[in-house]
Amino acid sequence: MSGKHDCGADAAAYVLGALEPEEAEAFSRHLDACVVCRDEVAAFQHTANALAMAPPQHRAPRGLKRRVMRAVRESDTETQTQEAPARRSRWGGSGLFVGRPAVAALGALAVVVVVIGAIIVGSNGSSGTRTIAASVAGSPGTAQLSVSGGHGQLVLRNFPQPTAGHIYEMWELRSGAKVPAPTGTLFSVNSSGAGNVGVPGGLHGISKVLVTQEPAGGSLTPTTTPVIVASLD
Amino acid sequence: MQLVRAGDARAFEIVFDRHSAAAFSLAYRMCGRQAMAEDVVQEAFVSLWRSGAHYDAGRGSVRTWVLSVVRNRTIDAFRRESAKSNRDVTEEGIAERIQAPELTDTEVERRDEARQVRKALVELPPDQRQVIELAYFGGFTHSQIADMLELPSGTVKGRMRLGLTKMRLALGDSPEVMV
Repeated sequence: MSGKHDCGADAAAYVLGALEPEEAEAFSRHLDACVVCRDEVAAFQHTANALAMAPPQHRAPRGLKRRVMRAVRESDTETQTQEAPARRSRWGGSGLFVGRPAVAALGALAVVVVVIGAIIVGSNGSSGTRTIAASVAGSPGTAQLSVSGGHGQLVLRNFPQPTAGHIYEMWELRSGAKVPAPTGTLFSVNSSGAGNVGVPGGLHGISKVLVTQEPAGGSLTPTTTPVIVASLD
Repeated sequence: MQLVRAGDARAFEIVFDRHSAAAFSLAYRMCGRQAMAEDVVQEAFVSLWRSGAHYDAGRGSVRTWVLSVVRNRTIDAFRRESAKSNRDVTEEGIAERIQAPELTDTEVERRDEARQVRKALVELPPDQRQVIELAYFGGFTHSQIADMLELPSGTVKGRMRLGLTKMRLALGDSPEVMV
């Protein structure tokens, strides 16, 4: 056992989603160091997943499919309207982020300037691209926000995979706001810990771009402390 | 799933057809209200469509992915409604009942799987089953359950662990219950 966790007690509550948010976050960190708990979580996870099939099984009501597919189409239309013409939808990218096509073109424009700290570290007047080094917590990885034409691209290197059953979720904090709003972007990193993910919509009025680790499927408000904070102020 | 990742709505429709019944059944079990369950399933599938690029087969089946999103969305909906105290998380408490239609072979298979998992759950000692149901289907934390049942948190977590261990032994790694 390492840390303050009772190894024998928390794994079951963790896979059932029954730990308090701060406990779940601490236990996630503990899992990195404790092979006993990792094994126990892995063993319980299969059973916890099976619980989803325990309810009496019904057919989905008539009309639900029509509603969902209509919402899917509207979601796509809405996203296309909100985003820059070069981008088809809010999900995709490079590497794991399949389906985020034209953003790769930004790579040709990007001028990477290495700096320390969460400050604007460089800009290129001709390309209009600037790179902001983001603060990273609890990870050996690095994160930079590449800003071009009012749009942002978060570039991650050496980042760990999200813990089991979790995913990274991107948030935006608008100037003057106290609570970050979801961007609807959920992502992971590839096996090398790298990832490029666009910030949906423009960066106008945004003071910070944040990333937290959330349960798979995402959350409506952050449930853990940010692992990445990129300040645009 | 590659087609879904590429933004193929018809491929996504197939995913919906395959998993919507299990998704709706889970949401209905958690909500106890058909209208709310439908809203949650719709919200979950739209979220899945948006995040489809990030499905990782190494982390489980598509069904596991779908159902985990449905569960999280349902819990989010509970929090939005702040209606936890009014929710009855037992099957017996579900006020609305849905007529059982004629079953296809796939549905029969799915119901067999469900029966097997339900049997493992039902055969747990009541105190262990109760804390697992409150946590998994009710979305309550161990502290909330401890308050509800007037038990120490350690006892609640201990019952969860014992219950899951017994269920794991009962289910084994049978492919029929690989979700």
